[in-house]
Amino acid sequence: MKTFRHGTHPPANKITEDRQLVDFEVPEILYFALSQHIGAPAKPVVAAGDTVKEGQLIAESGGFVSAPVYSSVSGTVKGIVSLPTATGGKCDHIVVENDFKYEKTGLTPLENPSKEEIVARVKEAGIVGMGGATFPTHVKLSPSKPVDTLIINAAECEPYITCDYRLLVECTDEVVKGVLLLMKALGVDKAYIGVESNKPLAIKALAEACPESVEVVKLKTKYPQGAEKQLIYAVTHRKVPAGGLPMDVGCVVDNVHTAYSTARAVLLGEPLYMRAMTVSGGGVEHIGNYRVRTGTTYSFVYEKTRGSVPEEETGKVISGGPMMGFSQADLRACCTKGTSSLLFLTRKQFNMMEPTQCINCGRCIRNCPMFLLPRDLERAVIAKDFEKAAALGVANCMECGVCSYVCPAKRPLVQAFRLAKKTIRERGIK
Amino acid sequence: MGKYIVSSSPHITSPSTTRTIMLDVIIALCPAVLASVLIYGFYPLFVTLLCVASAVFFEWLFNVITKKKQTVGDLSAVVTGIILALNLPPVVPFYVPMVGAAFAIIVVKMLFGGIGRNFANPAITARIFLMLAWTGVMTSFVKPIDLSDGANLFAYFTQGVNINLPDAITTATPLKGVKDAIASGANPAEGLNALDMFLGRIGGSAGEVSTLAVLIGGIYLAVRKVIDVRIPLIYLASTAVFTAIFFAGSEYVGEYVWTYMLGGGLVFGAVFMATDYATSPKSAVAVVIYGLGLGFLTVVIRKFGTMSEGVSFAILLMNVVTPLLERIKVRTFGAPEKSVRDMLNGIKEKAAAKKAAKAAVAEGGEGNE
Repeated sequence: MKTFRHGTHPPANKITEDRQLVDFEVPEILYFALSQHIGAPAKPVVAAGDTVKEGQLIAESGGFVSAPVYSSVSGTVKGIVSLPTATGGKCDHIVVENDFKYEKTGLTPLENPSKEEIVARVKEAGIVGMGGATFPTHVKLSPSKPVDTLIINAAECEPYITCDYRLLVECTDEVVKGVLLLMKALGVDKAYIGVESNKPLAIKALAEACPESVEVVKLKTKYPQGAEKQLIYAVTHRKVPAGGLPMDVGCVVDNVHTAYSTARAVLLGEPLYMRAMTVSGGGVEHIGNYRVRTGTTYSFVYEKTRGSVPEEETGKVISGGPMMGFSQADLRACCTKGTSSLLFLTRKQFNMMEPTQCINCGRCIRNCPMFLLPRDLERAVIAKDFEKAAALGVANCMECGVCSYVCPAKRPLVQAFRLAKKTIRERGIK
Repeated sequence: MGKYIVSSSPHITSPSTTRTIMLDVIIALCPAVLASVLIYGFYPLFVTLLCVASAVFFEWLFNVITKKKQTVGDLSAVVTGIILALNLPPVVPFYVPMVGAAFAIIVVKMLFGGIGRNFANPAITARIFLMLAWTGVMTSFVKPIDLSDGANLFAYFTQGVNINLPDAITTATPLKGVKDAIASGANPAEGLNALDMFLGRIGGSAGEVSTLAVLIGGIYLAVRKVIDVRIPLIYLASTAVFTAIFFAGSEYVGEYVWTYMLGGGLVFGAVFMATDYATSPKSAVAVVIYGLGLGFLTVVIRKFGTMSEGVSFAILLMNVVTPLLERIKVRTFGAPEKSVRDMLNGIKEKAAAKKAAKAAVAEGGEGNE
């Protein structure tokens, strides 16, 4: 079975894996973030008082590295407000009052589209990397270096999250159609779908649905199997150079949901305004996998899934997975194109231990998938020696959190490296 | 302020803590403790408990006096206590374990900053200290209790109660015999039995004698991923290889290899002491050098030194070298791969640059520098 070197095994906790995707309820008011992607924020093209339809453009792309935003309901635009985002910070949101009529509009479905037409449609439909990084997909589809391989990231190595898995099992055909479209857009003959071994049903479904040009690769269940560089290494044995991009080794990596949404955008003309999302954790009764409309507030998600579980049970709310997700101070943030999961964890489900002295066991070093020296890096950061941290290669840290996870002294290692990366950037240390 | 806890990811952590690791080591040491009781009676158990109590007490006391946060709860002092006890002869006067524990905990561990910061293995340094302080006591070993005579059952309770050991019940360690054989050219395995040595029915330190018991503990630690198994494996393998090399001229080379492997504290040292977190390197290259160095020094001391055993000194020396080994650079994932030729060229370039800089300084006059 293929894999990368180092890494760790957090408990999978995929308690929602057997829950079928169901449409989530829709709130009365929705808030569409203008920054649902990496890059320039989208520019609003509607004003207060306008009526909009489901699937109507409400904010256009703000540049090459940017993506447009579509309304997920029909109704009336109420204005623009600044709200906190799930990843920290704030951004402007377009407020739409839902009229519950769901009058639809959209793009024209394309039949047998050309390479250029697919890239243009992906850009127009606002498709971004839906594994959580939300990098605009059309940029990835226009690589500046020759590319020969497309890899679909279906590892879903974060604990709890099962939305990609459900798409693979329930919407296998659409996912595969999406993969073929992405291949055509890139002009490559070969694609791999990397799936962790703990998803046998997905592997079986894909193996039956994939043509010869698309190979399903069974990967060892290990975190972070879905990290881009580790996935490329596991599948192709190519090593993305430090500081480099997948295209430096002729690869492009896209997430399962990105492929699925691409198929919908091209074949059905449906822009990206809805996504599969896992709601899980001991703080909610109705855990499951839901088709959620972007703009739905986290508080609405909580209200509809909490059931009979007392509110005080929830100690931590995480947007994304427990290894790399963002904890929320409150539930004012809204679902975006990148919200793969919302976890309501009880105090027993997350780490509450205080750090103690480093015992020098070396687990962080033996498990770092980037082959960094977290122990030495932390010492450098504690000594505020950021030059040394830079020399030790802290810039190569992808913040997967393996070091902090395996640390028996519970030291906040990756947390220190985030600080170091920020400081190094700000001070321009090389 | 929100009502939920906010912190930077990851939000979960492995169940393994310093305490669970130390608990695993304690469990792994149990077979060796049990073996010492079966072989020498209850006195070694008393020594073990005394060592543990002293080690915990001195760590507690140090933290109280220096007004530091109490750390005895992490159980590392218990581990040090047990390892120290197993390093001592089965029968020693009560003050020896107490002084040893005080030295290990206060001087080697706490004064250097506590757990993870000791410069050498506390138990091994204490053993060497005790060897120098009480050489006689530390080198007189009682015979295993011979159960073929039923009357000896009584010895389980009495052995050690009278500390003044009559010559009749003391014995030489197998390695002492091997040492004598090196000088005389006799067969080193004369009078030795591999099975007795494997099970521990020989003279020696309480915890080291039974290779079987130590291996059981070692396998447990390996399965639980508490120790870096590369260290004991390389150490043991290199000891065998270096013994074969150093005794290649002898007609008894095979005998030297197996007596060296089973005798003394080699396996115990390899499993429980060379793997000490604070004093062993982490990167692959450094671990290999560390393991080879341990094996080399062990054989050199055993063959050429004045003492018959060299494991403690080998480990102590390599502990001291570890900070240097840790400076060996590790290639991060995706860093450019360098061939040996590239590396040699790099060294040449550096040397040339240095030369040029020197020349420039010599030419540029003395003034500025």
